[in-house]
Parts: sequence; structure tokens; C-alpha cells
Amino acid sequence: MKRPKLTEQEPDEQKEPAVKRFKVPPELQQKANDFLNAKKLNVKVLNELVELLEKEEGDASGVMHVLEVVFKNLFKRNCMQPELEENGSSPKAATVAKFEELYEKTWVRLLQCLNSGSKEQSGAALRVCMELIAIEARHTKPPLKSWPTRRLESILRTMIESDVTPPVALQHFQQYARCFDVIEESYKLLLTLTPKKFKDTPNAALNYLAIINLLDLGKNMIKTSQRHVEDAQEFDYMSTRKVVNKVWKRVMKAISGIDEKVHRQVLIVLLERIMSHLNDPIMLTDFLMDSLQQFDGPIALLALQGIFTLMQQQNITYPDVYEKLYSMFYPRMFFNKYKARLFYLADIFLTSTHLPENLVAAFVKRLARLALQSPTKDALIMIHFICNLLLRHTGLQRLIRATPAASAVEITDPYDATETDPVKSKAINSSLWEIMLLQKHAIPEIANAARFINSSLPTQEVELGPLLDMKECDIFDAEVKKQVKQFALAYERPNSLALPQNDMVTKYWSIC
Amino acid sequence: MGAKHKKANADVVHAKKKTQVINPFETAKPQTARKLNPFDVHVNKKKFEILGRICKHDRGMPGVSRAKAQQRRSQTLGKQFEVKHKTNKFVDNRIGRHLSGDQLTDSVLNARYLADKLSQVRTSSKAEKFNLNDDELLTHRGQTLEEIEQYRDERSDDEDDERLDAEFTAATHFGGDGDAPQDRQAAIEDMITEQKRRKNEIAKEKDEVYDLTERLDANYKELISLVGQTSKEQMREKPPMDSYDRAIKEMTFDRRGTVTDKLIKPEDLAKQEAARLEKLENERLRRMNADGEEETSNVQPKHRSADDLDDSYFVAGLDDEDTTLAYDQDGKLCTHSNFDGESGTNKRDKEVNDSDDDIEEEEKDDSDDSSESDVDNLSDLKESDSDSEQELLPQTPKEKKPQKSNEPASLDTSIPFTIKMPKTYDNFTQLLNKRSVEQQATIVERIMKCNHPKLEGVNRENVIKLYAFLLQYIHELFEDASEDEISEHFQLLSLLVPLMYDLTHLNPERMSNTLLDVIKEKYSTYSKHPKMYPTLDTLVYFKLVSNIYSTSDFRHPLATPTYIFMQDILSHAHVRTRQDISMGILLVTIALEFGQRSKRLLPAVFNYLQGIVHMCIPKQPDEVLEITPPFERNGPFSKLLAIGCSAESKAIEQMPLQATDLVTHTLSLDFKVRVLSATLGLIKDATELVGEHVGATYLATPFLSLLSRLPIESYPAYVNENLNACKNALEQVATRPMKPLAPAEKKPKALRMLEPRFEAVYDDKRRPKMTKEKEERAKLLQKIKREKKGAIREIRRDTVYLQELRIKKQLQSDNERKEKVKRIYQEAAIQQGELNELARANKRKKF
Repeated sequence: MKRPKLTEQEPDEQKEPAVKRFKVPPELQQKANDFLNAKKLNVKVLNELVELLEKEEGDASGVMHVLEVVFKNLFKRNCMQPELEENGSSPKAATVAKFEELYEKTWVRLLQCLNSGSKEQSGAALRVCMELIAIEARHTKPPLKSWPTRRLESILRTMIESDVTPPVALQHFQQYARCFDVIEESYKLLLTLTPKKFKDTPNAALNYLAIINLLDLGKNMIKTSQRHVEDAQEFDYMSTRKVVNKVWKRVMKAISGIDEKVHRQVLIVLLERIMSHLNDPIMLTDFLMDSLQQFDGPIALLALQGIFTLMQQQNITYPDVYEKLYSMFYPRMFFNKYKARLFYLADIFLTSTHLPENLVAAFVKRLARLALQSPTKDALIMIHFICNLLLRHTGLQRLIRATPAASAVEITDPYDATETDPVKSKAINSSLWEIMLLQKHAIPEIANAARFINSSLPTQEVELGPLLDMKECDIFDAEVKKQVKQFALAYERPNSLALPQNDMVTKYWSIC
Repeated sequence: MGAKHKKANADVVHAKKKTQVINPFETAKPQTARKLNPFDVHVNKKKFEILGRICKHDRGMPGVSRAKAQQRRSQTLGKQFEVKHKTNKFVDNRIGRHLSGDQLTDSVLNARYLADKLSQVRTSSKAEKFNLNDDELLTHRGQTLEEIEQYRDERSDDEDDERLDAEFTAATHFGGDGDAPQDRQAAIEDMITEQKRRKNEIAKEKDEVYDLTERLDANYKELISLVGQTSKEQMREKPPMDSYDRAIKEMTFDRRGTVTDKLIKPEDLAKQEAARLEKLENERLRRMNADGEEETSNVQPKHRSADDLDDSYFVAGLDDEDTTLAYDQDGKLCTHSNFDGESGTNKRDKEVNDSDDDIEEEEKDDSDDSSESDVDNLSDLKESDSDSEQELLPQTPKEKKPQKSNEPASLDTSIPFTIKMPKTYDNFTQLLNKRSVEQQATIVERIMKCNHPKLEGVNRENVIKLYAFLLQYIHELFEDASEDEISEHFQLLSLLVPLMYDLTHLNPERMSNTLLDVIKEKYSTYSKHPKMYPTLDTLVYFKLVSNIYSTSDFRHPLATPTYIFMQDILSHAHVRTRQDISMGILLVTIALEFGQRSKRLLPAVFNYLQGIVHMCIPKQPDEVLEITPPFERNGPFSKLLAIGCSAESKAIEQMPLQATDLVTHTLSLDFKVRVLSATLGLIKDATELVGEHVGATYLATPFLSLLSRLPIESYPAYVNENLNACKNALEQVATRPMKPLAPAEKKPKALRMLEPRFEAVYDDKRRPKMTKEKEERAKLLQKIKREKKGAIREIRRDTVYLQELRIKKQLQSDNERKEKVKRIYQEAAIQQGELNELARANKRKKF
């Protein structure tokens, strides 16, 4: 996609290649050219074009583009605004009025396209809308000159009211959401657009949150300071921040009784976008605490992260945070999206070397147990995590280095996996037999990772970051890419589907 | 006078030639030669003998060296001095002056010599012109002509023996033996005639001998060829050998190669096979263990003393292959191993038994039987097959043809015996189309044989193509097979698997890469929808891997990705239909098959089995029983396999899982019972497989609580039996206590040896220590200094020499001048005297 500024400067020259890209039918293109090149602008032709857009059933992106070019040119020639000195009765003023009417019509139709169409169509519609906003802002005469908030509001409203979540146009909106003026204006508009009850309109709520999620006020944005409309005012962080605070207050008011999905989205948006800009994040404590206590799984995890931020920045205390964290390590946790966040949080929470050893030992034992139940990648992460914990808390090395006297006696595992309080789980008296078992794992990657307990521990902690970023299929790909290709063959020739020895398949299946 | 002189000269030469007596003292050194004059030698006294120092100046000969120096100077400086201030120049005008060593041929040298001679003649005085006896010695290639002549046996007049023989002298010189004294004149004449006659005789004799020699020389060349030929033939022809030689020859040239296979006795064959299997098994075991993994875990180190230096030695008794060379009474060779061959095999068997399965032995017997039967009904083709394979890959088993004695298809005449390799996959499928299962297998087998790489080089590619076709064919067979086809397809697969095994052995690298590519592709399709089970053909490929490859390896380029794939499927894919369940169980079975030998575990297998049991437990609608994903902990999917108590369910017969289960979606009662029965068996097997590992209890324990919740009463009796067996196995593992982990006892570190260590200290206290570069520089400077000193000394001596020369010259010229002056004075005095005398005479005249 072209950056907005480029298209503004030479619309006539830019037209040809751009039109081609959108597969504009040649006769339409001819029509538009004739219309623009004619000495007297013919309202009828434009009317036809607009009608064409309204009638278009299939892919309307070509027509949209032609209209974009036409209106851009009209704006450039100042045909869209009545001259102030002239009185309204002149024929020119009539034409202008007509043009404006058509322009409004086009907007309505474009907004329809924004929601209804396919991916390409909505993308094209959004692009045209944003381009028109830019050109409108540029060519409006000074007394009326302002950011065309009205237009942006209509776009946002359409997106929020979209039936599809997330709205199709949203991913195209992303690139415009990098411009600070768009962000500023959007936040102002969102203040008014907040759905009254998230509970009643979960779709609208989700869309609303998704839009906020796109509006990043982070450092990157301020550094690049792109603007969508050329002569927009300088970015005023403080005022935007005020608006953001207000928006969030609205959101908080609206969220009573929301369902799990929306709740999760609220938490994500809060953590990723809003939290750092709030004036008084301590106000969130109740919300987060409730989320943490009443839910488990992803919501609790996200809430925990929020609370962690509060603990860091606002010095709040949360008594059972480790117990809560401990309770989050259970098999099902590894089948939701936020497990990387959990590892990240756990890594931070367990960083302190001043934690009681029996607490950390409980975590280590639980991780080891989970490594036996989790998918390949998570098992790998957990083994490395255990290794890190053992390095951090040297006292824990008794889990793998029992005294000679103790190691002579055979015991059953004293660790109580069902105990909810990690301190009472007696993990410190146990031993890491799970890791021994993992050494027998069939996947060499894991078996090798688990062998760290055999020799002296590594001197440095393993960086978990790259492991967390790893995709599930990476282990397979890495294994396949191994250079050594010595295909050892079985030396006993099977006479049928059954193996000559130790056959299992024919024992349980009568398939051949 | 001249003639006499010449004669004398010739005599000398002759005498020289004659007296070719070797003087024994000739080589001895003359007493005076090269003997050091003790007065010439100057000895430099040394105060101390220093070890390792080479001293060049302990003795010297100042006189000799001075003379040498003097000579050198006179040859160099002296010459220069002579020509100083002189413009003359030596010009080499000899013939061939520009030529170098090699180019100076004989002709050039001769010409030079001739010119030299001529110039001498021209310049010499008249008297010398006719002197023939100049003492010049002519040489040819460094040898004097005289020397050369010694070896040339030319006839010459000089050879004539001019002396009188003994008889004559005896008769004449000392008065004879009293014969009538003849008068002197007659006697002399007699003597002369006698002499002449004798001379003639000798001359004649010599002529004859010479002629003979000449003839012989002329004939020699002709003879040479004859000599050569005969000798060659003689070489060939050998004297008849005696019995001993023959015996030795027989022994040395006796064929030592192996006897052909047919002659090997069955028990030997069995032994060979066992040895081969053992070797392969050892290799497999080596691959199975990760580097440095084993031994430490299960073998407790024996007690080691701190003084143990780890210089362990081999115990002689354990050495099995102790082969002493020995002969029995009949003179037959009987080494140790031969002697107790029986016990050796016994021992080996025992080892096999120790390694906890005696299947090995049975299988050895099996292979025995099969190989015996092979000998008879192997077709030629098959033999060549196995031979070529053996050559291609040494690791390939020698004989492993499937002897399907009841193979009706091989007699089927509807299939041509030679089938060309189909060009495209379509052609291939056309070949197989509409054929029965056995026929299809036969077709593939025949294609394989007709395109064996041994027959033609092109076939190398063909077999790979065939393999790819087969994979594709399998894919099509199983991708979406219908219920009635599926078991037939599995039958075909069962026949194809041995063929694919053989194919893979033809070119393991390429074929395996093909299969790996297929699995990669399958994985990429799967990873797009990780929550869905892949199609059945994927599982069939897994089974292929299990059949063809050594899956027990710690890391295998094909088995390991397959493991990862299986783990991913088992831990991610949702289990919702009958197909999902049976595919999962098939996966579990294959995974267990993979790990049979290595005893490695895939945790997902256990989770999956737990999930299946979990599904069999009937639950209250709102009850939540915790279970590892991908299984649901509540809701309809959590009790897919639960059955109510009914007579119908009790009556279901025991049977294994069916092929149709893999393609059916609806759950039936008998399926539910079947699945549970199979699952219980699998749990038992899996638990036993990993039972010996430390920590296996963590895998076994979760089952116990689940199994206790199974409604036993609603299942038939055999399920209950299975359940009890399974519970027993689980409890055994679950309750086993474990020793807390402790680091393996480390080898005590050997004490450091207390031998003195000598260090060479090279730093001299008198000199400061220097870096290497500095030291080198100092050395060089020292050298320069010494050289400079030497040069100065030489220059000084040169000056002295020149000075001497100059003084000599000066003195010489002075002397000459004095002489001249003297002579002049003398002449003047004489003149004066004469004048005076004249004056006096005049005076007298006047008076």
C-alpha cells in the first residue's frame, strides 16, 4: 500500500498505475477521465458513477477507486466547497451542492462496504475512506478547517457495529492507527462510542476493545510521529492520556456481568495498551482481584499479570500470590493461548533468591510432573525452567543430590501433588525422579535436556525467551533438518505387516 | 745415435708394459707424507673441559695456515698488484672459448689441441722442430695413452720375444753336454736358422689364434640370440619335483576361499546367522543409547580404592576368542575355539538368555529352517537378488526371502513374468487396477525383480521411482477408504511391506529421503489443523517406518520425526468420533512398537490411554473429573465410551480391534467394549515396558484412580480379567519405592605422582634475562662485531703483504740501479784508464 502522502501530491499522474492495480474496468476509467478532463464538470456523469457504486453487487473496489480519484481532483479544484463571497443561488453553487450530496452518498455506500464485503473490498473501502479524510482535511477552507472528525466517527461506529468480530476492516485500519492524529481523534471519539452494557452487546464490545487494542500509545508511535492529515496539530500526550483515562472509566462502568471471552479481551487490552497510561491504576485492583479470585485459567492468568504490574509500580501487596501462581500450573493450562505468559510470569515471580526453598521446591516438583503430561515444546521449556530454578536456589539441589546416607534408603515420593499450598506439599523432601524418567523420553531433544542432572549443573541459566517464542512445529523441523542422514534399517525382514519380534499392532488389531 | 735413442726409449716403454707387477707397498703411505710436524702444531691450552662445548681452536698450525694465506694472497692480491697500472689484458683465443662444459666435444678439443701444436711448432726453434721425443704425455679422456694401451690386446711386433729360450742357452752358453763340438760358424748359423724357424712358428701360431678370435667375434652376435632363447626355455622347464616339494606346493597353492554356500552345513549356517544377528544387535544397542547415558544409571560402580589408578586389565579367563594354535594327534589343526565349539555357542546362548529374551534363539532356529527350505526352491532370480544385495550393502541380511510356499499368485499365468517399469504413476495404477490383492503384490514383486539395479544401471532410478509409486499408492489406498475396502487394503499392505523392506535395502538413502519427504509433507498438512486427526495413510506410513527402520535408535533421521509427529497428534488432536479413538489407539500401538527395544516412552501415550479410560467412566452430568487435554473433563465428549449395564454388553465376544473401526464414525456397543479391552491390554504392556525406569510410578499412578471407577459389572468377564491383570501390573510399578537421586559416585582422583621433576634452567646470572628478540639481536650484533674484527685484520694483513711486495720491488729496482751505476762507473773507469794510458803513451812518444 502506498503511504497516504504520496497519493495526495500528484493524483493525476498516480492514477494510471493505481487504477491498474485495482482492476478498474477500462470503460469506467475512460468515463472518469472524460469527466475530469471536460471543461465543465458534468454532474450527471458523477451521479452515474455514484449510482454504479450503489448498485454494484460484487467487487466494488474498482468503482471505489475511481470515485476516490474523482473526488480528490474535485477537492483539489475547490469544487466541493461553496465560495464564501458568492451567493448560494449561482449555478456553480448548485453544482457544488450537488457534488456534496453525491459525496455524502458515496460515504454512506463506502461505510456499507466496510462491513459487508469481502476482505479485499472492505480493505479497499477503508483505504478510500481514509484517503478521502486526508484530502478533505487538506482542502477545506480555513474557517471550516478542522480534522474531519465526523467521517472518522462514522468509520469507527461502523466498525464497532459490525457483526463480524473482529471486523474485517480492522486489520487495514491498523496501518492508519500508527498515525498519532488518528489515535488522538479516535480516542476522543471512542469516549462517546462506548457500548452501554458490554453484557448485552458482546460483539460491539469485542470490536470496541479490538479498536482500542490497535491504538497503541507506546513509545514507538511517539518516536515515529507519523501523521495522517498533513497539517494536524502536534501530538499532545497529556490530553490524549486524559481521554484514555476517561475512556477506560467508561469501559469499567460497562463491564459488569460480561462473559469470559469479553473479559479476557478487556484484560488483554488493559495489560497491553491502557495500563501504562492510566493515572490511577490502583483503581483497577478490585477488578483484577475479582478476576483472579473468581476465575481460573486464562483470565486468572491475565489478572495475575495485571496484579504483578500493580505490585511492581504501586506497591500493593497480595498475600497468596504464590499460592495462586502454583494453582495455575495444571495440565489444562498448557492448552490455552497464554501459557507463554504464564512461564514468563512464573520466571519473574521466582526470580528472587530469598524465597523459601520449600516453596520453590513445590514449583519444581509440579513443573516436573507437568513435563510428563504436556506437549513436547512445553516439556522442553519446563525442563529448562527447572534447571534455572535449581541454579538460582542452590539449596534445591538436594532434590537431585541427596546425601549418600539418604540415597541408600528407598522411599515413595513424599510430595503431595493435591495439596494446594505449595509450602505444605513436602516437596523439599522429595527427589526429581520425574527428570530421570524424562531421560527415557523418546524424543532425543527432551531426553538430552533432561540429562542436565547427571553431571554438574550448567554455570549459566538457560535463556527462556527463545524457547517461549518457539513454535510447536519447530522441534519437528529442526529434527528433520539435521544433517547427519544415516538411515539405520531394521535387520529383520518383516514377512507381513507384523514385526518379526515384539509386534504390538497385530496383537491388538486384526487388520491383516 | 738417433736410432739408438729411439730404441732405448721403446725399450723403456716396453719394460713398463711388461712389468705389470703390483707392488704391495704402492698404496702404503710414504713415511714422510702428510705427517704432522710437531713443531708446526700449536696447542691452545684449555683451563677447563666444558661438556657439550665444541671447541674448534684447541690446536692449530700457524705455519701452514700462514703459508696458505700467503699463497692465497699471491694468487689474488699479488696478481692484481702485478697488473696494476697496466693496460694489458689476457684474452682467451682458444678454439671454442665460448663453449661450456657439455658443448666441448671431442672434435672441438682435438681441433684445439692441433692448433696448439701448430702454434708451438711455428714458434719453436729449428732444433726442436724435429724432436720426436718430447716428453709430452698424450691423454685421452684423462688417461694416458699408455694406460689405454695396456688393455688393448692388439697384435704388435713388439710382442716378439727376442730372447733366446732356455734350451738354446743351455746348449750354447755353458759348453753343452759334451756333444761333438761344432765349429763356431756352423753353430752360429744353426742358431740363426733355429731362431728364424721359431719366430716363424710363433708368428704362424699367433696368426691362427688371431683368425680364430676374429671369427669367434664375428659369430658371437649370431650366437647371442640362441643363448637367450635357450635360457628362457630352460627357465620354464623345471626339474621334476619330488614328493616333498609337491606337497609343499600343494599346500601353498591350495585354495583357501570359502566353500560355496551349498556345502556349508546347516548348523554352521545357523552359527553364522547367529553371529551376524548378534553383530547387528550390538550395533543397534550402541545406537540406542545416547552418548554417555548408560552404564552409570543401572550399574553400580564397584568399590574403588583411592589408589586405584584405573589401569584395569583384561581378565584372561573371560577372553572368549583365545585361539591357541594346536594340533591334535592326527595332525589336524584344532584351535581353541574349534575345540570347544559347542561350549562357545552355549556361552553365547547364555548371553542371549541373560539379555532377557530367548526369542533370539527361537528366531535363530526359524531362520535356520527358512534358510534350509530356501536352498531348494529359490529361483535363480532370487539367488541373484540376494547376492547382489549382499554386494550392495554388507549389512543387508543374506537370505530373507519370504517363503510363502502357498503363494498361488506366483503360478498365476495371467500375469506376465517380466514387467517393465511403468513410466508414470498412472501406468502403474493401471497395472494394478482390477487385480486381486495377491496378484497386485506379485506384480509389484515382479517389477522389482525385473528392474533390479544389479541387472542394469538405469534401474537404480527405477527402483526409487517404484518406491515412490508404492508410497503414493498406499496414500491413495488409505486416504479415504470405505468400510468394505479397508481390510482388503490392509491385506495388500501386509504383502507390500516385505517388498518395501527389500526395496529400501537397495538404496537406503534415497528411499528413506523419499519417505521422509512424505512424512514432512504430512506434518505440514497436519500442523495447519493440529486439533484434527490426520488421515489414515499418515498412520500407515508410521507403521512402515516401524517395520523398515531401526526404531530403537536414540536418534534416527526418520524414526525421531515420526515420534515427534505422534506425540503432537496424541497430545493435541481432539478425540470425538469412533475413528478418532481407533486412530489414537493405533498410534499408541505403533508408538509402543517403536519403543519395544529401546524402552523409551512417549508420555502422550500414557495420557491418551488415561483419556480413553476416562471416557469409559460413566459420570454424573455435572461431575468434573480432571483429565489431561485433549480430552474433555466434562460434557458429552468426556463419556463417549461409557456403557450402561445390560445383558447385551455382557455377551459381547472377545475380539481385537478391527480395520473397519478406523473408518467408521458411529460408536457401537461392541466397539466400546473392544476399545476398553484393548486399552487395558495396552496399559499393561506400556506399564511393563517402562516399568524398570526410575519414576515409572508417575506414569502408572494416575491410571489406578481412573480404573477403580470403571463399572466392572457392565463388562464381560474377559474385560474384568484384563482389568485385574492391568491393575496388578500398575500397582507393582506404582508402589515401587525409589532411591533419592544422588550424583553417581565419582572416580577417586589419583594422587599426584611424587617423582622429582627436573627442569632445565637456562638463565645465566651474569647476563640479564632478555626477551627472545632482544637475545637474537644481541647475538647478531656480537656476530657483526666479530666479523668486523676479522675483516679489519684481513685488510691489515693485505696491506702488510702489499707493502712487502712494494719493498721487494723497490729493493729490486734499487739493486738494478746500483748495478747499472757500478757498471757505468766501471766502464767510465776503464775508459779513463784507456785515456790515461793513451795520454801516457803520447807523453812517452813526445819524450
